[in-house]
Amino acid sequence: MQRKTISTTLSVLFMGLGQLYNRQWMKGILFLATGLAAIYLSSVIGLSSYLKGLITLGEQPSGLVKVGKITKMVEGDHSIFLMIKGLMAALSLLLVGVIYALNIRDAYKVGKERDAGIAPNNFRQSLQLINQKNFAYLVLALPTVTVLFLTILPLIFSILLAFTNYADPILPPANLIDWVGFSNFVKLVSLKVWSNTFFGVLLWTVIWAILATATTYIGGILIAVLIQQPRIRFKMFWRTVMIIPFAIPSMISLLVMRNMFNNKFGPVNEIMRWIGFDGIPWLTDPIWARVTLVLVNMWIGIPVTMILAIGVLTTIPRDLYEAADVDGANSFQKFRSITMPMVLFSTAPILIMQFAGNINNFNVVYLMTDGNPVNSNYQYAGHTDLLVTWLYKLALNQSQYSFASVIGIIIFLIIATLSIISYRRTRSYKEEDMIA
Amino acid sequence: MRLKQKAKLRQWVMGLVSVVLVLSLSACGGSNGGNSSPNSSQPSNTSDTPPASTENEEEYLPEPGAKLTVWESQEQVEYMEKIAAEFEKQYGVPVKLEVVAGGDQGTRLATDGPSKLAADVLTMPHDQIAQAVKAGLLLPNDLFEDETRAVMEDSAIKAVSYDGVLYGYPKSVETYAMYYNKDIFPEAPKTWDEIISFAETYTDTKQNKYAIMWEFVGYYTYPFVSTLGGYFFGNDNTDLTDIGLNNEGAVQGFELLKSLKKILPMNAGDVSYDVKTQLFQEGKLALNIDGPWSIAAFKDKVNFGVAPLPAMSNGEVSHSFSGVKAYFVNSYTEYPIASRLFSNFAANKENQLLNYQMTGAIPANKEAGEDPTIKNDPIISGFFEQFSHSTPMPTIGEINAVWDPLQAAFRTIWDDPKADVKTTLDTMVDTIKTSISSK
Repeated sequence: MQRKTISTTLSVLFMGLGQLYNRQWMKGILFLATGLAAIYLSSVIGLSSYLKGLITLGEQPSGLVKVGKITKMVEGDHSIFLMIKGLMAALSLLLVGVIYALNIRDAYKVGKERDAGIAPNNFRQSLQLINQKNFAYLVLALPTVTVLFLTILPLIFSILLAFTNYADPILPPANLIDWVGFSNFVKLVSLKVWSNTFFGVLLWTVIWAILATATTYIGGILIAVLIQQPRIRFKMFWRTVMIIPFAIPSMISLLVMRNMFNNKFGPVNEIMRWIGFDGIPWLTDPIWARVTLVLVNMWIGIPVTMILAIGVLTTIPRDLYEAADVDGANSFQKFRSITMPMVLFSTAPILIMQFAGNINNFNVVYLMTDGNPVNSNYQYAGHTDLLVTWLYKLALNQSQYSFASVIGIIIFLIIATLSIISYRRTRSYKEEDMIA
Repeated sequence: MRLKQKAKLRQWVMGLVSVVLVLSLSACGGSNGGNSSPNSSQPSNTSDTPPASTENEEEYLPEPGAKLTVWESQEQVEYMEKIAAEFEKQYGVPVKLEVVAGGDQGTRLATDGPSKLAADVLTMPHDQIAQAVKAGLLLPNDLFEDETRAVMEDSAIKAVSYDGVLYGYPKSVETYAMYYNKDIFPEAPKTWDEIISFAETYTDTKQNKYAIMWEFVGYYTYPFVSTLGGYFFGNDNTDLTDIGLNNEGAVQGFELLKSLKKILPMNAGDVSYDVKTQLFQEGKLALNIDGPWSIAAFKDKVNFGVAPLPAMSNGEVSHSFSGVKAYFVNSYTEYPIASRLFSNFAANKENQLLNYQMTGAIPANKEAGEDPTIKNDPIISGFFEQFSHSTPMPTIGEINAVWDPLQAAFRTIWDDPKADVKTTLDTMVDTIKTSISSK
């Protein structure tokens, strides 16, 4: 029988056996030890009970028992903890699985080399090989494990919540949570109380994201181009003034704005009345509240695009403009055919990021209007609520965790799809080396 | 308020992160996997375990080696330190203080309680207990039940009970009343009619002078609902099938509310807490409906007094919503007896009076309320008087289905002169019903 078959079979049987057969003692012992440690640890910790917990989400809830005059707490299963522990067990199992697969692959490769008459590496040679060829993997191993447990695990956890009935009044530890499959998703679109709000809020979220992105982007570029005009004086001053709104924490400036736009006492309306107009119901009328949000968002968002655009403008070669001058182009033509394409090319990926960010623009809505004015036809949402602020209200004010998680997933899907599609369509993606 | 909610969000995230971390630690330490131990001790068959001697009431002493952790908000830390020191002197149990903002304690308990990171004793406003009780996070006040029921205000007892079980150890009460500017009123107006006729001469939108203001949210709207016979839910806010928000009394109340627009001509959304506070400080607002938490903002700035809310057409003082703050025992505490002893000790009459002296909290204890220091305090006694006409905010979770629709209806009636009161209220009740049935 061929050596590669024997060594592979042995490694499949137990980690490290194939390596030992290949006379790679040190490597074999390391794999063997890892395998034994994995089995020992999983039996000591009770890996199977964790995995079972992930499936059942607990069998016995906590409860209070009256003993004589005193009530005692009898601890039971906590579905949420079981879920997290189960996930950790599953991920650890995955890690062991990866090592196991590596072990088989290694046994196969070395066996094949021996069949071909090449002597297997000794341990020092293997180490050197790792150092030369696989150093990157070695360095990345620890971060990968950390990312797996600290980044991926919470993500999976919050996604899984969407498939449970974790919502007031089913609150652990006094209650057990159950898997309910896609019923939350179905409810969201089929039950009128939910779907009405969901589609209304979704529509406004999309409109908002488009408006907010377009206004800040166009505004930012226009201002940058204006400031960079050779005839403009005090460039430093203009730049600084425009950047200031971005430098103040939006938490504070938005709360101030909220008072400034107060219909009755806000300075904005006071000035308008002073000039002779009637005041505008900035934050109390559904339409005006939305307009106000877009305006305020421009104030905060324009500086970012402006700085970016200024940066890009300085990189555009002067001779392009000189050539255009020679050809007799006017300023608008120069802007259209030279400035705009160059700026667009460099900032398009940022544009998509801003769009995604605006879909999730929690701060502006939450601090300016908090979703108000209220909409009596909506379930826990107002006229200006975005999906993300609705999610926040559902989770933190109403304890509707499973629905909040469903909405979280939907937001993710929307943003991910839009971003991928539009990013792949930008020229900077297709022609990476246009400038060079 | 917003800041608080923001902090709540952060708190929640931190809680989740700490849960994950603790779990990863405990998993490494090889603790047994969750669901093996409790199967052996089902709640129903543990009743025979404790020794019979515990039947004797006098035997309840703190667990040997007990030490307690208590959550207290920043404003009350100094006061709590005194109590903790006194408790340690009397019972020999050391008490450690951790500063956690009042509104956050309930949320943190939900995550930190089961992971054994929460304090043994904490303070919550009573409207947060429903969630905590449903999640099984609080131990009932059983040991001192009779004592608590005997010495505390009845509405405070009702407020800290859920489903007939007493959970809290009431600490202080709060409700809103009417702040009046003494430079404008030698004596506070008693009825809405008085206020309306006063406003006709006083209100001047050009100069931002207004007769009366209150925040346009459900909490402060309650007097218009309840005083003439409306109510949230029937049978002391427990019967969900009986919603009294569109009955005749409520309609009358909202009609009165609608008629007030002429003395407060602005959209509901524009009366914000900041605006109202500033106007009152500047002396441009004659009457301000607000709670005791605003006393500090007005002290030394305005010459003010506090009086009960104005009476409506039936002559009865308006009914307000009240809140009760109480100590609660975390059900995951290691030292349940010591925690109970501490809660009861901290909520006793002397300590409530101390709390009043140090932080201005209104006592929930009946005798403490009768104390001359409180009787002679014109501000606190104003609130205390209104408190006797108040209903505790409902503790049932379904109350959450009411606030938003109520506010929406309230603002529609106020902002839109064409809106019909009865139809608007009917729509609101429909919304509340669907919202409750969809849970």
